Amino acid sequence: MSNKSGKALLVGDNPFHKISHLSRERARARGDVLTCPAHAANLVVASLENGANGFMFSVSETTLSILDEIRESGEIKRLSLYAIVPYAYEYVRLANQVGGISGLARKFAKEIVLSGNVRGIAMGLKGVVRVDPISLMKTYLAYEISRIRSSTGKQANLRSVLLHQVITDMALALNLDWIFRSYLNFMSKWGIAPGFNTGNFAYLVKKFREWNIDLSEIIIAAPFNKVGFQMNPSREACEKALASIPEPILLVISMLAAGYLIPSEAVEYVASLRNVRGVAVGVSKEKHARETFALLREKLGH
Amino acid sequence: MSGESLRVAVVGLGKMGLLHASILNVLPNVEIVAFCEKSRLLRKFLKNIFDGIRVLDDVEKLSDLGLDAIYITTPIPAHFLVAKTVYLEKIARNLFVEKTLARSHEEAEELCELADSFGGVNMVGYLRRFGVAFRKAKDLLAEDAIGKVSSFRAYAYSSDLLGSEKGSRALSSRGGVLGDLGCHAIDLALWFFGGFQVDSAELTSSNKDGSEDSAHFRARNSSGLEAEFNVSWCMENYRMAEVGFSISGSKGFLEVNDDKLELRLKAGESFTWYRHDLQDNVPFSLGLPEYYREDLHFVESVWDGCSAEPSFYAASKVDKIIGQVVQRAGESE
Repeated sequence: MSNKSGKALLVGDNPFHKISHLSRERARARGDVLTCPAHAANLVVASLENGANGFMFSVSETTLSILDEIRESGEIKRLSLYAIVPYAYEYVRLANQVGGISGLARKFAKEIVLSGNVRGIAMGLKGVVRVDPISLMKTYLAYEISRIRSSTGKQANLRSVLLHQVITDMALALNLDWIFRSYLNFMSKWGIAPGFNTGNFAYLVKKFREWNIDLSEIIIAAPFNKVGFQMNPSREACEKALASIPEPILLVISMLAAGYLIPSEAVEYVASLRNVRGVAVGVSKEKHARETFALLREKLGH
Repeated sequence: MSGESLRVAVVGLGKMGLLHASILNVLPNVEIVAFCEKSRLLRKFLKNIFDGIRVLDDVEKLSDLGLDAIYITTPIPAHFLVAKTVYLEKIARNLFVEKTLARSHEEAEELCELADSFGGVNMVGYLRRFGVAFRKAKDLLAEDAIGKVSSFRAYAYSSDLLGSEKGSRALSSRGGVLGDLGCHAIDLALWFFGGFQVDSAELTSSNKDGSEDSAHFRARNSSGLEAEFNVSWCMENYRMAEVGFSISGSKGFLEVNDDKLELRLKAGESFTWYRHDLQDNVPFSLGLPEYYREDLHFVESVWDGCSAEPSFYAASKVDKIIGQVVQRAGESE
């Protein structure tokens, strides 16, 4: 860790996917340079040199190429990696391109077979034959972890794998507590911290308590910002839920409210919160990387 | 209603079916009683995942479940038959149908007649009416903020099918871009400005089934309001589908899309609102906050016994405009 408190200061990957939650127009205006893996890798490394200590990313061809670049530059060991799976957008798009869910399933099955992971193949077969969603989930997770490892190499520090917001929130809404339990169980066997990305932080905390899921063992990535953007149902409810947790388990995302706030006021707000384990913030220019992480290190690092 | 909870079934458990089922499950006083899904494999998974929810393969089998409402989230070509069966078999009186209401204006009109004769609440899933930026735009137009509107340009773009395998089954099930994406711009235009007629249209297609990839059309209303629409799902750099309007009025100019609203007055003042400024949070967010507001509106309308918007009738006008676009495009070939 490069900051004194041990807080995770993570480079977020949204700009590398051309995502801006402030305005899609703004994301388009950034052009293609940010999706270039070499350029993105340089931004991550520049952030590292200014206080960042990790990278939070959705597992996609783009981010895996960025990880390839970082590994080749020799910097991969300095990074704690926080992966989000599945990258829903890539799978929806792929389904369009290869002919729907069945085409996607064929492609996915072929990749697992080609990976030569005998255990994964057996687990996947079991999942299909027995129509067993848990086996299929485990096969899928093992596949995604193997994709990450093949880009980063075995020495990289894969700190956490987080379930994507859509999956987390859908499972929460449908009361599928067994998905969370199976996920926690599977990740603990891999020695990776289980995480959940959610747009409903307060609801998740309430549900996990109802289900007796130990909050201290997990990581939650959720939007927290001064203007309450994407903090459902309200900023106050999310802050109250956060204050009620005994451990620092929160990774703050959307700190800048997608560029609506300036970094100094955004960081000041995050610094006022308790139970923050870290922050993930996207950067689109080297200057941003320097300024943002220097500020985060100064305000959160002590 | 039959009890303290609204008993609901969801027909078609694809992406939209799961999304609506999830939101319905967090709404107070709503109980999901059954899923109806054609795919055998998916039914097996659903049975293994959900305890206490009936999983059926045929809409008619929903008839004995005492349902208050049904969500129809099948591919568009199946909407008409499923909705007709629900009415004629008296399975439920309250229907929510994902957009578009039907494949054609004729089918949509028949569903409107059925809805009229059977009563209950009917609604179509044009979710952008529940987006905060479009709602604000509607309010500003109603307040006459830009004076008399003389013209507007609308677009609906995505990169969904950029580089896709043409003629794949997945594409065929989605129909053309007008029904899949352009319908949102048409619905918003009808909501903002009332009815209009299509003057001219061009469609382009590179699919084997002939469904359109892009559409350009011009329209006008009886007051002389002129409109231009551009629709495509093969645009570069539209990772997320986006709908937007540029509207000119006697007192100013209004530009609105899913995220942002700009008002520029000829007197010199200008204003900008983002989602952040427009109270976008909801009790539970999945996908977009719009989905929660949409489902809440339908459920509250059923509880209150009042009509929901956009109704089948409002949505049938979208199907009518799509029909006009296809007809005008055919005439110009």
